[in-house]
Amino acid sequence: MDPLAELKQTFFQECEELLGALEQKLQALDEGSRDSEDVNAAFRAIHSIKGGAGAFGCTELVGFAHVFEAALDHLRSGRVALDDAPFTLFLRCSDAVADLVSAARNDETAPVRPDLLAALEQVGQAKPAAPAAPAEPAADAPVGIAALGNLLAMVDAKMGAPAAPPAANDGWDDDEPVAAAPARKPGHDVCIKITPEADLFRRVIEPRVAIGILPAEEIVSVSCDLSQVPPLETLDVTDCHMRFTVMMRTELSADEIVSKFDFTLANEEFEVEVLPDSETAADPVPAAAPAAAAEVPQSVAADLSAILARLGPSAEVAPQPDIQPTAAPVAAPAAAAPATAAAPAVARAPARPVSNEAAARQRQAVSVRVDLDRIDRLMNLVGEIVITQSMLVECVRSLPYDVYAKTAEGILTLSRQTRELQDHVMAVRAQPVKAVFQRMPRLVRELAQTLGKEVKLVLEGENTEVDKTIIEELADPLTHMIRNSMDHGVETPEDRIAAGKNPEGTIKLIAEHRAGRIVISVTDDGRGIGRDRLLAKAKSRGLVGADEKLAPEEIDQLIFAAGLSTADAVSDISGRGVGMDVVRRNVESLGGRISVDSEPGRGCKFTLALPLTLAVLEGMVIRCGDDRYVIPIASVIETQHLANTPIEHLTFGQEVLRWRGEITPLHRLGAVMGSAGKRDENIIIIAETERGGNVGIAVDEIVGQQQVVVKSLESNYGAVAGASAATILGDGLVALILDVDSMLRVAASGTRQPAPELKLAG
Amino acid sequence: MSLQLSEKHFTSAQPESAARRIVTFRVGDRTFGIDVGMVREIKGWQATTPLPHAAPHVRGVLNLRGVILAVYDLRTAIGLGTTDATATHVIVVVDVEDKTAGLLVDSVSDIVDVPVSAVRPAPDLERDEHGLIEGLVLLDTEIVALLDLAAVIRDGGDNQDKQLRVA
Repeated sequence: MDPLAELKQTFFQECEELLGALEQKLQALDEGSRDSEDVNAAFRAIHSIKGGAGAFGCTELVGFAHVFEAALDHLRSGRVALDDAPFTLFLRCSDAVADLVSAARNDETAPVRPDLLAALEQVGQAKPAAPAAPAEPAADAPVGIAALGNLLAMVDAKMGAPAAPPAANDGWDDDEPVAAAPARKPGHDVCIKITPEADLFRRVIEPRVAIGILPAEEIVSVSCDLSQVPPLETLDVTDCHMRFTVMMRTELSADEIVSKFDFTLANEEFEVEVLPDSETAADPVPAAAPAAAAEVPQSVAADLSAILARLGPSAEVAPQPDIQPTAAPVAAPAAAAPATAAAPAVARAPARPVSNEAAARQRQAVSVRVDLDRIDRLMNLVGEIVITQSMLVECVRSLPYDVYAKTAEGILTLSRQTRELQDHVMAVRAQPVKAVFQRMPRLVRELAQTLGKEVKLVLEGENTEVDKTIIEELADPLTHMIRNSMDHGVETPEDRIAAGKNPEGTIKLIAEHRAGRIVISVTDDGRGIGRDRLLAKAKSRGLVGADEKLAPEEIDQLIFAAGLSTADAVSDISGRGVGMDVVRRNVESLGGRISVDSEPGRGCKFTLALPLTLAVLEGMVIRCGDDRYVIPIASVIETQHLANTPIEHLTFGQEVLRWRGEITPLHRLGAVMGSAGKRDENIIIIAETERGGNVGIAVDEIVGQQQVVVKSLESNYGAVAGASAATILGDGLVALILDVDSMLRVAASGTRQPAPELKLAG
Repeated sequence: MSLQLSEKHFTSAQPESAARRIVTFRVGDRTFGIDVGMVREIKGWQATTPLPHAAPHVRGVLNLRGVILAVYDLRTAIGLGTTDATATHVIVVVDVEDKTAGLLVDSVSDIVDVPVSAVRPAPDLERDEHGLIEGLVLLDTEIVALLDLAAVIRDGGDNQDKQLRVA
């Protein structure tokens, strides 16, 4: 991959995180947080997105982000009070930014939302009490982009350099000639020296953006010192050798200016100096000292402009190729400001007040991004080692005792280390559920709008980690569950008021680890499950006998039955009756469970329990005839000897056994799976089915219990009836991992009986 | 019999304009061939794990360095019964469409370059109902039947379905 594409990839990955942070902070503010750090963090997020987007030429994104950023800046600067801020609008804007980011990622063009832009621009303008220097009227987005435009051209224009054409309508132009000293604006003169580290570009920051943060109309001049540019032979074009000097006439204090650079430049990369307000400072631009600049060969300047063009937002604002090195005089502000010695108000960036932010940055620095493919390969390899190691264990058994003892010790250590290695690799694959959770607030917002409901979403345990295989599978069920709660659970504000509840409903999404599983619950405080209607519907569909009496809890479980929806009108959101039964099937196919607790009028709680990974599973290795199989421990309830279990024969060879007072069907694994060899079938495994019933499976022998690495059968063959996947045992041979429900379907078709429509438990 | 690669076939400077390089192998007294590009590796017989309700020529699955692939018994596929596999039998690991599969044969015999023009379309054989033969090549004294591997393998899936439906 070429480096730029790679950088771009990284940028989009970062965007995901930044968008998450942006949304989270705005959410917190919307919920009443008045922490200025939240505002700053939101601002930083959108600012970083804008910066990166500019570097990669995502013009729409830059345009929108710029306006958004400006609006947030009003909050940051206190021009708009937090209490008056339209956070709902901001949240919708963050959604729009997310759309723009994904559009940019896929090289599509997303529609810029003029409605949102217009609304954003209203922010801060409606306030009549705006300070004397009113906010820059961000008239429309394109101008906003242009404002970030050709910095060097602007330098030239300000300098009155003859070569450069005036930067037409670039939004920077305050129509105030530099020399017009008499009509001085209020404020003081400030000289900012920017000496970026060489890696500036690699940090995806461009000078244009860094300087663009300053209020354009207050900039008097910008000059660029190219004296540090090395000769062409040794020039690394990704290094930044430019030094800038910005002269401003502003009312901002030094500290305020420092804080503006917070997000682009490191503390040691710039220096802000407030110049004494004397007449001598009237012409703040150093007149002379182009000496060093003159030495810079023309070609270097051309190279630089090429770099800028590449980093620039789009071609049309790329720097003019005809910049003259001499047009950028070396900054010598010290010489230009004679009064520097007289108590120069040099404001180094103040020591960061919150050290934990620094700590957070530190943490980020030591983490690496790794392609998931690589981790998968690592995982595969670890799986291989586990297999080889158990192969060794079997070889060692045949050794003479004295050799055996020593080798066995080594192998024991090896197996412990392998296990540890496996755990660590699994831990690397683990991701916080945040990746899925953070999509939900948007879903809730949009649904709330569609449905005319007021809902607050509370997220808890977002940092709970599970394997990425599970993360990928979580999004669908969670979306369904939230939709269900939004549509059927939470009532309209009117209904809620009538029921004496807070008009705003609450949905809680909570994740936690419990007993080696991840448990996720979706709790709403809505009306609960309408049992009468659900039961009536189930009866009309024949799922429940007309005269059957069901306990309330049993009725609730009907929500998972296929084809049941109690919504009166089929809505866009849910209600097609393909909701919760699909969720249940998906969850169960992952080896998970879903349950529901409902309290009429008080709300409803769905609980989802899933294994932490799909890559390995704890299995019981069993033998039947010549073949071995693995049955997931999660499915096994109990094992027992056939002799202790009374078996009865029904028609067509169907056998049942009595187990804990229940009649349980019995299947002989060898017959169902067609195992070769002689079978004695002395052991019965009682297993649990997805539908909640139990089943007995007769096998020859239980070989052992071990963690097995799940291998797909489908990638090179196809689905195998009765098995969900396969694994490789210690001797290198393949064993099928049984899927109890699929096995039962095979058994049912094998005995020439129509697959019984299994009724719901109860 | 083991894999014999005659020197001349590799050194033959530039194969005539349109030539196919064919790996030939034997099942009983018959010779089959597939394009060399489809062959990933050739390995000795290794015990497989049978799959329930699979087509008769699906011998089972095996572990090839952590990847699980199915092995098809070519003898069964062409209607000559089941191979009594021993250590001298050979599994030709092939890439077919997007899958990797093993083909159980008696032995691999040669790699030959055949001009495309020498490949004759398979006669409309009544017996070859699955269309396993893609073409025929007359080589010295013997006829090499070029296999349509996709058909050999696809058949496994189809039969498997049939079996399930009928059973």
